[in-house]
Amino acid sequence: MNKMAYDLFLGCVIPARLPYLEVSSRKVFEKLGIELRDVDGFSCCPDPTGIELIDHETWLALGARNLSLCNNNGGVISFCSGCVETLKGVNYFINKDIDAMQKVNKYLKKIGKTYEGKTEVKHFAQILYENLEKIKENIEKPLEGFKIAVHYGCHYLRPSEIIQWDDPFAPVTLDEIVKTLGAESIEYELKMECCGNPLDKSDSDLSLQMIDNKLKAIYEAGANCVVVVCPACYQQFEFNQRELNKRNDSEYNMPIFYLSELMALSFGFKPEELGFNFHRIKPKELFESIGFNI
Amino acid sequence: MMSEGNLEKNSKSALVIGGGIAGIQAALDLADMGIHVDMVEKKPNIGGRMAQLDKTFPTNDCSICILAPKLSECSRHPNITLYSYSEVQKVDGKSGNFSVDILKRARYVKEDECINCGVCVEKCPMRVIDEFDRQLRKRRAIYMYYLQGVPAIMTIDKDKCLWFTKNACRICEKVCEREAIDFEQQDQLIKLNNVGSIIVATGYNLIEDIDNEVLRNYGYQKYRNVVTALEFERLLSASGPQDGHVKRLSDGEKPKKIAYLQCIGSRNDRSRKYCSSICCMYTTKEAMIAYEHNNELESYVFYIDMRAGGKGFQSFIQRGENDYNIKYFKSKIAQITIDNKENPIIVYEDLDNGEIKKLQVDLAVLATCIIPPEGIEKMSEVLGIELNEYRFVKTPPFDSVETSKGGIFTCGCVHEPMDIPRSVSEASGAAARAAEVIRGG
Amino acid sequence: MSVINYEFRNEVLKHNASLSYCYQCSTCSGGCPVALLTEGKYNPRKIIEEAILGLKDKLIESQDPNPWLCSTCQKCVELCPQKVELTEIFTLIKNLCFEEQKFPEAFYSQGKAVFDNGVAIPYSNSIVARRKNLGLPEIKIASVEEIKTLMNETNFAKNILRGNE
Repeated sequence: MNKMAYDLFLGCVIPARLPYLEVSSRKVFEKLGIELRDVDGFSCCPDPTGIELIDHETWLALGARNLSLCNNNGGVISFCSGCVETLKGVNYFINKDIDAMQKVNKYLKKIGKTYEGKTEVKHFAQILYENLEKIKENIEKPLEGFKIAVHYGCHYLRPSEIIQWDDPFAPVTLDEIVKTLGAESIEYELKMECCGNPLDKSDSDLSLQMIDNKLKAIYEAGANCVVVVCPACYQQFEFNQRELNKRNDSEYNMPIFYLSELMALSFGFKPEELGFNFHRIKPKELFESIGFNI
Repeated sequence: MMSEGNLEKNSKSALVIGGGIAGIQAALDLADMGIHVDMVEKKPNIGGRMAQLDKTFPTNDCSICILAPKLSECSRHPNITLYSYSEVQKVDGKSGNFSVDILKRARYVKEDECINCGVCVEKCPMRVIDEFDRQLRKRRAIYMYYLQGVPAIMTIDKDKCLWFTKNACRICEKVCEREAIDFEQQDQLIKLNNVGSIIVATGYNLIEDIDNEVLRNYGYQKYRNVVTALEFERLLSASGPQDGHVKRLSDGEKPKKIAYLQCIGSRNDRSRKYCSSICCMYTTKEAMIAYEHNNELESYVFYIDMRAGGKGFQSFIQRGENDYNIKYFKSKIAQITIDNKENPIIVYEDLDNGEIKKLQVDLAVLATCIIPPEGIEKMSEVLGIELNEYRFVKTPPFDSVETSKGGIFTCGCVHEPMDIPRSVSEASGAAARAAEVIRGG
Repeated sequence: MSVINYEFRNEVLKHNASLSYCYQCSTCSGGCPVALLTEGKYNPRKIIEEAILGLKDKLIESQDPNPWLCSTCQKCVELCPQKVELTEIFTLIKNLCFEEQKFPEAFYSQGKAVFDNGVAIPYSNSIVARRKNLGLPEIKIASVEEIKTLMNETNFAKNILRGNE
């Protein structure tokens, strides 16, 4: 069987603002023997919570342009739920509607490109879930003591007609991966609720209220950390705890992990290699409290 | 057991499949016309869904009180032969001349000896989840399907009986004074020839009987204080698992606020597109009965549209609002969550002012969608009749008692969700058509 | 007083016929996290109702309810018993708001950034250095000319350069 290889679509947020998340993600795939091919010339996906909402056609055109740059050999993956939704969405719309397909290619022609809507798009967690056996083989340090509040986020699951992956209301994939790593997945109220990040563009107070509700529920359930698979959710959870503590009487201090960071830890990578010092809420305290030997 | 009576010699008989109110009415109509009827019912006793109801709308009459006389007439009528705990296995032939094979399951109880005294039930050690009471309590391995069931004969559930599963026990045999227990009894194959026409009246199931994603968001079977309408009906019944004193399943407390959620699984493109027809009416009925048991009760009904088209139906709903402390909200509920006391929390829109509100209730009742009865696919093959896209029996639009095969008629919920009055009048219609075939030659 | 704008109504219907399946059951509003938070000031059912009625002035001019408060969580779409494509209809309405230059500042910033740079977050020197330190490959982003060409073709450029309110 040929070695698994995918084109890698990084998007805007991770490479330009949270590069340390890219580090652990790349390391995990390397350990699993899955090749990630970097492609030149990608633009913003564009943001399904941003540009899509002001100009759907431009979103289709730019998205199709990104897809047209892909190798078409094995498909393209992304570490970002938003990018995955956009790229899957572009495929969905132009394959569903012949007018959209023709229009998009009319635009692409102006820059010497075409796109037929056939490049497969997957979320990196999809690949991980499809390779649980390989993951098990690579675990050196099971994540005992981690009580993880898994946050699926919205664009990883919905709209299910476009994403076509896990159950939109009772998903299991991320919980399965977390359990495979040896950690405990904690049930908590509001588990399926949105983190509120997209709302920040329109009403930052409402956006904060939404993440406040989630953090409250996570604390109440007794989790000691949160795992996400989307940089928007990551920022929403990590960047706002201090602000919320200032505004209310809360004492949020919950480490937020990207799924790949935890997986890299379990594979034996050291925290220094993974850029944990860049987290706003340092996980060192958590590691010490659960006796996770680093 | 054919009585000569007013039967012509060599005359054809009718077969009625299904012993619910529709089948019973059809059988009685045919029998009163002098036609011999063989009635086949899958369960150990006839009565069907109506026996599970406490009261019936729009009069709120006691359901069993209306049903019982018909049950006993059925069992005594000289022109009706009742095959309970039986199933139709094979049908050959055509209109006017069917031949039918019936599997009569062994009850392991002698039908002529059992007097339904109940001693065997008291002594039987096996506890089995009770299907009649919608899994809310347990029966024994030897049992009556329900208290007032006809025929009034016990049945042994051989899948649960210790003798059949583990070669042990046989206590029932020891205590039965009539020596009515017969573990050697065999299934019987009954062959009927000369069946002129057949009526299919096998009723319905509910969407919670099959695994369905639509109930998940409401916490059904996850939250103890969320029940379905038929479960609630059993809780309201004096003969039910709580003797009619409605108590929450989590802590046994009397509920003071009950939310009724309409259209669970029906009128839903992701589940069943059709309207389940009777839920708007039965929900108000249930809320009224619950209020009669406890007049401090507050009831909240959440609906898409209030379907109350029959005679006296709209005023029934109005009475609910005026006299029974029922508040109606046009706001279908998306999901149920619970607080730390297992109280269901309902989020709804109040259309009077456009506000989104949270309501904490003590109990939530789901009005779940009617679906075709279990085994309908097999039955349609055996009979050679078509099912529609929703897998109900297919009927032409202007002739709702006809099926796709001549000589086979239908009535009641097996072809479309409907209430009792309509089932009964369709049953008479089906009986008339069945008689035409038999008399018409 | 709101006026029915038949042209607008037909335009929306033409774009997304699922709008006409709505039977105003409020399942969407009951499940919407923002509707609950705002106690109904944001109300997806109402937006669809106004779209069905063609109340362009309410939707685009006064933006009541404010469609930009949708968090795009897609719960409504998954729950809707009639499979009304709510978020697509909301996207259409927001697209129209954009054309009328009535949209939040943050969307302008992102759109302008992509127009000018090809990406929403341009690579600062410090980030380029940090990436190198972390052993990450250098990113070669899209040619700005190509992006500008596309955005000119789709009229995005025209709208984003008009300045915003």
